[in-house]
Amino acid sequence: MNRELLRNISFYTIILALQLLVFNQFKLFGFVTPSIYLIIFIHYRISYDKTILLLLGFLIGFIVDLSMQTYGCHTFSTITICYLRSRIEKSSFGVNANSPLAMIKGTPLFSRISFFLSIIAIHSIIYYSFILFNISLFSTIFLYAFINSIATFIIVWIISRLISNR
Amino acid sequence: MQSIINSIVKNRNLIIYLILSFITFSYLYNNSSLHFNELGKISTYLSATSSKFSSSITSYFNLIKENEKLVSENLQLKKMESNYKFTQINEDTLNSINNAKVIVNSINKSKNIIIIDKGKLDSINLEMGVISSKGVVGIVKNVTNNYASIISLLNTDLRLNAILKNSSTIGSITWDGINARILKLNDIPLSSSLKVGDTVVTGGMSFYFPKGIPIGKIVNYDNNSLEGYYEIDVETFNDFSSLSNLYILNRTDNNEIQSLLDE
Repeated sequence: MNRELLRNISFYTIILALQLLVFNQFKLFGFVTPSIYLIIFIHYRISYDKTILLLLGFLIGFIVDLSMQTYGCHTFSTITICYLRSRIEKSSFGVNANSPLAMIKGTPLFSRISFFLSIIAIHSIIYYSFILFNISLFSTIFLYAFINSIATFIIVWIISRLISNR
Repeated sequence: MQSIINSIVKNRNLIIYLILSFITFSYLYNNSSLHFNELGKISTYLSATSSKFSSSITSYFNLIKENEKLVSENLQLKKMESNYKFTQINEDTLNSINNAKVIVNSINKSKNIIIIDKGKLDSINLEMGVISSKGVVGIVKNVTNNYASIISLLNTDLRLNAILKNSSTIGSITWDGINARILKLNDIPLSSSLKVGDTVVTGGMSFYFPKGIPIGKIVNYDNNSLEGYYEIDVETFNDFSSLSNLYILNRTDNNEIQSLLDE
């Protein structure tokens, strides 16, 4: 258990460092900054405690907010996907939602893609809604969220494949 | 009791999510000026819309009283006009005066806000001075299309430039949050002569109000302060608990003054 905890903490730290030091400097088209830290919440084991997931989401979102000066936009979108995660699992994996590693292996590819995309898209929509915070920029919010979701999905999917191969 | 605890444990994730969301929103509201302004507008709009409905019902039953008040107000205005022009405002510095009706008002908090039924569509803008027929009321703080919120004189954050009408000694008016009829006049040196009953008016050294709009009269003062300044209590001419018709001042010389300051 201790070894697993240590491994998880190392994984979270590496991903967070990658986000803060590398991906936060990305400004594709001037606004696309892939949120690769979402991989932490995608890979969080289904059998682990959901309350810990919420607190972890708050902590990581807050750290990212402090580094990007986004004043809570990352935090709110992150805790929202953490709260909704069990519902997204059920809608994506159906009867396989009880398998602890459903998001990596042992489930249909389509289910996994749907799970990744749902989490990333919900996060992006909430994040850009709060960043722009103007109902008249409705179409811009969805355009930004769409492009950012695709960029984030590609990077998160590649990292996930590397992890599952190991 | 057991069932309450069970219910809390069962819904703990929802409760934690709501608490964390609240913390996040507080952080967002306090640190981001964009979100502060937008949330302020939403809150102004919501409270104004909900209060307008109840206000329209109560104002219907108060029509007779309201009518009498308007008649006396008109009479007073006519007297003022014939004596020394309406509140001594220099017409050249005022582009226009808009009138508005109060739909939300409070006097029992330390930061009281008034909401009126006029907004951007009626040419109301931020930081315009607001008066009633009796004197200064406050400054416009937030504006939506149809409503505006005003920081009332009964707000501990507001500090206005003021002078004694007789001696032209300059000071500042604040509210200590205790009595809704009593303001504090600060920074008047002990060397100035004053007496109970002296009138306090706006000093004109701000963007908000021209010189000479009545604020209140001195009801009490203490000249034993070691700091070299009087401690003066000023009774407001306005009764803030019964405000209904307000006038919003639109000054034309603000941009000119601001451009000089920017240089």
